[in-house]
Amino acid sequence: MDANPIVLDETAGDVVVVVVEGEHDIYTAPTLRERLDEALGRGGGIVVDLTAATFVDSSVLGALLDARRRAIEAGQGYVVCVGDAVEPGVQRILDITGLVPVLPVIQGREEAITAARSTNGTSE
Amino acid sequence: MTTPAPEVLLTMPARPEGVGVVRQALAGMADALDFDPTVLADMKMAVTEACTNVVVHAYDEDAGMLEVEMLADENGLTIVVRDHGAGIQPRPARSEPPALGLGLPLIAALSDAFELKGSAGHGTEVRMTFAYSRSADPATQNPVTGNVGADGRWDPDADSPA
Repeated sequence: MDANPIVLDETAGDVVVVVVEGEHDIYTAPTLRERLDEALGRGGGIVVDLTAATFVDSSVLGALLDARRRAIEAGQGYVVCVGDAVEPGVQRILDITGLVPVLPVIQGREEAITAARSTNGTSE
Repeated sequence: MTTPAPEVLLTMPARPEGVGVVRQALAGMADALDFDPTVLADMKMAVTEACTNVVVHAYDEDAGMLEVEMLADENGLTIVVRDHGAGIQPRPARSEPPALGLGLPLIAALSDAFELKGSAGHGTEVRMTFAYSRSADPATQNPVTGNVGADGRWDPDADSPA
């Protein structure tokens, strides 16, 4: 059993949710990049759900930012979400890097799916 | 706290899977020293970034070692992350895809004191100290500046994302 899974949830239809749980760093960043590639390949909106993530480092931020850039280039909606209570190992790096408005990060998966759907198909 | 915890020295191959092992050991050490969870979170993040730098930058091949030393004294816990690689280099020895380049700014923002030593051919040493009791948030003193650049790496001078 994988204690730090990264899985795709496609139940929202036109928005794929990449669900990231547990601790993630340079060891799991390649897996995250693969899952993000798969999600981007679906052609619709993408939500990265960090609700159950307990730790993410700059390798993870690098993967999230690369996917964001590719989503913007392809006109795909892209939103990162967290839950009501965010682990210090996730909140702190988002806060001090100022990436909350950039990625962007919003609270709640349903809200994120709605936001990703609304910006999908709006290439810059 | 009455008795300082003993010194810990970890030595392992500089590979990605080792970074989580260092975090586990650090969590155990910090727990024994009764650190505040927010300081422990900063410690895990800073040490992860320092170890990642060794894994990504220090060695051309999988031949080198990562050393982590933990020393407790009356003021706090000092963690030294060391390699015996090529020394400080602006570009990674191996990295696919390119690293974000945010490691050192994060270490500076998260630790109460931080020192980087190294020279070409003699390896690199990052020494970070975390106080038992903080008078201020180090991220206020040493904020992470910049934003992501057009090449996907961190640009310390950027005001907004490329």
